[in-house]
Amino acid sequence: MSLVLDSIEICLHEAPLFKPLSLTVPAGTIVTIMGPSGCGKSTLLASICGMLDPGFSLSGTVSLNGRCLNGIDMEHRRVGILFQDDLLFPHLDVFGNMAFGLPARMSLGQKRERVDRSLAAAGLEGFGGRDIATLSGGQKARVSLLRALLAEPEAILLDEPFSKLDDNLRGSVKEFVFEQIGRLNIPALLVTHDRSDSADGAYIELN
Amino acid sequence: MPGQRSRLKIFPALALAIFLLPILAGLLFTWAPAFGYLSAAGSTHFSLEPFATLLRHPSLPGALRSTLISGVGASLLSLALALWIAATLYGTRLWSVIELSLAPLLSLPHAAFAIGFTFLIAPSGWLIRAVSPYPSGFTYPPDWITAGDPWAVSLTLTMLFKETPFLLLMIFSGLSRLDVRRTIMIGRSLGYRRLRIWTRLIIPQLYPMLRLPLLAVLAYSLSVVDLAYIIGPSLPPTLAVLIDRWFNAPEISSRLVGAAGSLLLLFVTLACIVSALALEYLISKVGSRKILDGRRQSPFEVLVPTGSLYALVLLAVNLFSLLALILWSVAHSWRFPHFFPTRFSLTNWSTPLRQLLEPLSVSALAALLSCLLAIILVVGCFENEQNLARTRIASISQRSLWIIYLPLLIPQISFLFGIQVVLVIFHLDGTWPALVWVHLVFVLPYVFLTLANAYRSYDQRYSYVGMTLCGGPLRTLFRIKLIMLAKPILFSMAVGFGVSIAQYLPTLYVGAGRFATITTETVSIASGSDRRVMAVYALTQLLLALTGFLTAIVLPAAMFRKRKAMQN
Amino acid sequence: MAYLPMRLLSIVIVMLFLIVCQDPAKARDWTEILAAARGQTVYFNGWGGSEVINRYISWAAEQAGQRYGVTVKHVKVADIGDVVSRILAEKSGGRTSGGSVDLMWINGENFHAMKNNGLLLPSYTQLFPNYPLVDTENKVSTLFDFTVPVDNQESPWGMAQLVFLYDSEIVTDPPADMRELLQFSQNNKGRFTYPAPPDFYGTTFIKQALLELTTDRELLYTPVNSARFEAVTAPLWEFLDSLHPHLWRSGKAHPKSAPEMKRLLADREIFISLSFNPAEASNAIATGELPPSIRTYVHDGGTIGNTHFLAIPFNSSAAEGAMVVANFLLSPEAQARKSDPAIWGDPTVLALAKLSPEQRSLFEAIPLGAATLNPEELGAVLLEPHASWVAAIEKEWQSRYSK
Repeated sequence: MSLVLDSIEICLHEAPLFKPLSLTVPAGTIVTIMGPSGCGKSTLLASICGMLDPGFSLSGTVSLNGRCLNGIDMEHRRVGILFQDDLLFPHLDVFGNMAFGLPARMSLGQKRERVDRSLAAAGLEGFGGRDIATLSGGQKARVSLLRALLAEPEAILLDEPFSKLDDNLRGSVKEFVFEQIGRLNIPALLVTHDRSDSADGAYIELN
Repeated sequence: MPGQRSRLKIFPALALAIFLLPILAGLLFTWAPAFGYLSAAGSTHFSLEPFATLLRHPSLPGALRSTLISGVGASLLSLALALWIAATLYGTRLWSVIELSLAPLLSLPHAAFAIGFTFLIAPSGWLIRAVSPYPSGFTYPPDWITAGDPWAVSLTLTMLFKETPFLLLMIFSGLSRLDVRRTIMIGRSLGYRRLRIWTRLIIPQLYPMLRLPLLAVLAYSLSVVDLAYIIGPSLPPTLAVLIDRWFNAPEISSRLVGAAGSLLLLFVTLACIVSALALEYLISKVGSRKILDGRRQSPFEVLVPTGSLYALVLLAVNLFSLLALILWSVAHSWRFPHFFPTRFSLTNWSTPLRQLLEPLSVSALAALLSCLLAIILVVGCFENEQNLARTRIASISQRSLWIIYLPLLIPQISFLFGIQVVLVIFHLDGTWPALVWVHLVFVLPYVFLTLANAYRSYDQRYSYVGMTLCGGPLRTLFRIKLIMLAKPILFSMAVGFGVSIAQYLPTLYVGAGRFATITTETVSIASGSDRRVMAVYALTQLLLALTGFLTAIVLPAAMFRKRKAMQN
Repeated sequence: MAYLPMRLLSIVIVMLFLIVCQDPAKARDWTEILAAARGQTVYFNGWGGSEVINRYISWAAEQAGQRYGVTVKHVKVADIGDVVSRILAEKSGGRTSGGSVDLMWINGENFHAMKNNGLLLPSYTQLFPNYPLVDTENKVSTLFDFTVPVDNQESPWGMAQLVFLYDSEIVTDPPADMRELLQFSQNNKGRFTYPAPPDFYGTTFIKQALLELTTDRELLYTPVNSARFEAVTAPLWEFLDSLHPHLWRSGKAHPKSAPEMKRLLADREIFISLSFNPAEASNAIATGELPPSIRTYVHDGGTIGNTHFLAIPFNSSAAEGAMVVANFLLSPEAQARKSDPAIWGDPTVLALAKLSPEQRSLFEAIPLGAATLNPEELGAVLLEPHASWVAAIEKEWQSRYSK
């Protein structure tokens, strides 16, 4: 169980963004990729989940649990992603947002039960019917992560997930995210420009 | 800033005063004849006879059928196809091509497009000419019903091709408020395919911003007169054409029936609007249950390539209609089955060019004035709205702002006759203020509609920064906000400019023959037979509207040519 | 007798008008009118669908400015009914003077309606110096517009006669009457049609058919009689019922207007079209709108003819100027220019016999054009049926064919 990047290089119109990168993220660990803004961190994540913008080209291979991801459509990669904005869907309530990632084979009742359990475990008991707009920043961040994790991804990518949170919230959200990822025992990649956001695991400077 | 807030409050009030009172008066004075009051014709007692005559009219059922098929069909189809294009093409190169083509597509006047499109699909038209006489064997055009068919299919198609670009414009503007790229990423990371992401994540967020444009398209399609004359059915024509004929008929008493008909058309329009809202409610009810069923892939996913097919057809139809007009404008003779004119001539352009100078300047001035007034009112309303949002005060005038959309939702023929009477009473007909006002009535809602998304998604923090740097709220507004928003503001003004140029009936009813605009001249020449001169007029009309759009695109590009961040 | 109160009302209004505004036509001689006209602006409202006609009017406007100091503004409309509506709105709004229309191009039903509703200036054409030149003796329609007495309330402008245009490249032997037209349609399915009433031309075609087919033509010149309508019109419906399946688009669609038919003729979709202007074919060939192979023909028993007029609304703000312009348009010079197929080709309302030799030579110098019939070929002019038949026929037509 691991996410392996093998001599990944991303070019924008032939010009490489960073030196070729090779790295292995074992299950249950969070590897942090650091670098100043504009160094290609987010592009790297986009290449892993298969959403490179036109103009960029990728060389090297990405594999997840031994399966090569290159050329696979994003929706079949089973890679979750989390942004600094929670990007919760405003037309759905908390339950709707979280159930959206659950598989079709589950009945509505099963989904409700699964979401409720997950909310309760995250200290958000009874939040299922809440409108997104009524949540605080920290609550949104949690729901956003739970939504990504409920889909049972095989890896998760975190794109500066804490940078928009207040200082007093940041610690608790961070702790929550790391704990949840650890519980799921999947590889995670976190990019940030802020060293204090890094996880306990390894970190790599991108340049 | 209590002072500024109260000053801003006058904007919604002003906007409402501009609309509500005159339109109400217009409606009332149009309805009076429907109930038997038309003093000028010596009819001065209450009577339901006009309605009885209307309902007994042999053409009414057929006219209603054509009106409903073309009006409802064109608006629902154009929404469906515009969304289909967006869902299937978002992010592709063709999508950017469409974005670039919107300005020319919107500048092509409805009637001009209809004339060109008729020439494309008529049995003696370009498509058949392309295969005649070889290999089709047609030395004479086949006797097929294409344009002007009794089932109003060609009329529906015409409006479909003309309204899809408008709805696409609204979709582009709506999408700019959503984080589509990352919503798609999240959707895909959760395993959803393209169509499901659009139907479950993006369209539900987008639709509220399309509701009004859709209803405007619906009301417009139900009551359109000029297109129905050009390419609509003839036996019987649509209800709007029947009403127009009654209002123009030699027998003065027909105007009573016409007034009753316009009331019926208003009722039909309102009924369709209510049905559309009910349908929306139904879809959202059914949809909200299905949205969470977790199915990742739609069976229609295989149809995604048809999106580019339709987009290409849309672009091609517009392009070839335009080309047909250009060729006609320089043709001397061009008979079936020749694919190109057999003789060219520039004389078609020589007389109109001299005669069109005055109409062009009247059109441009009326359009400029109404656009300027509209943008002042619209910016004022948005500023007031944002002020209220900050102070969390909901005001009645703010909530009743939807009334400015009224002119888009009420058929023009339902209130213009009455407005004419009101203006005559106050000796305002045929004056510049009246002309600019009646254009403003139709320009303002479009400016509002096209600017809303950009204005509302402006990051207020820029203004807070501005306040600390350059002081007063007014200075901040002019020096920072309006300049940052220059591009969408100019674009919405260009849309308003085009709307003003296209106004025919309002100019006719309010202008008292004192204002010849490029559109009144085009419509009157279009009642004649000479397609070559018609093409010249239509192209001139297109060029004027296009000038507005080009200005709106070129001006900010020039202003900010050294500011990369302002270029998209 | 429901008309009576309305009539009374209009008389009262006209009387008031006379008292308040000093009827410009009353007890004044032409020099006074000329003097009053100088400096006035005349808004001339008329159909603007033809560049040829528009050019002629702008020539006349120039002349009126140079000769009489009257500014003429041509207000081009798609449908003169819009202008009638506006005058009606002005009347509803109580504007008895200072109206927006000074001169308008009308005839037939529109005149009938405007006259009945007191929307026209009382008699004035008798004051025009050029009016005595009008051929009122031979051109009866200059006095009776669709059988409604003109009463000097509109000034004759041009003559019209229903003619058929055909493509001589395709049709060698054009039909000589309605029966032959039916035969032609049966042999050339889909190659003839007529505009759907209430279009003016469509209604005229039907009236022509009615005049040719009915057994009791005289009745058509009296107000419509609902009791005998069925009997009088029965042959017409029988004819149309057998004609329609063979029309263009099998009669399921009709052109909306005569101009549209002209396009269809040019496009070779139809082989026979119709017009009210005997010189239209020659003019359209000259401008390139129609090919040189187009020719004109009429039916043997004669075709419907009428006159089109210029009228001054009751509330015109430049009535004197409008009179001066209408009089100028009646002058031999203006009429001769108008009848030239290279310019417009609209036949004159004047009697050539009443003109001086130089004036006559203006007309004689005009080439007819290859596609124009000479007066003998044009044959007899049938008068329009009484105006009241139009509405009745249109209604019946719609209930039969426009459902």
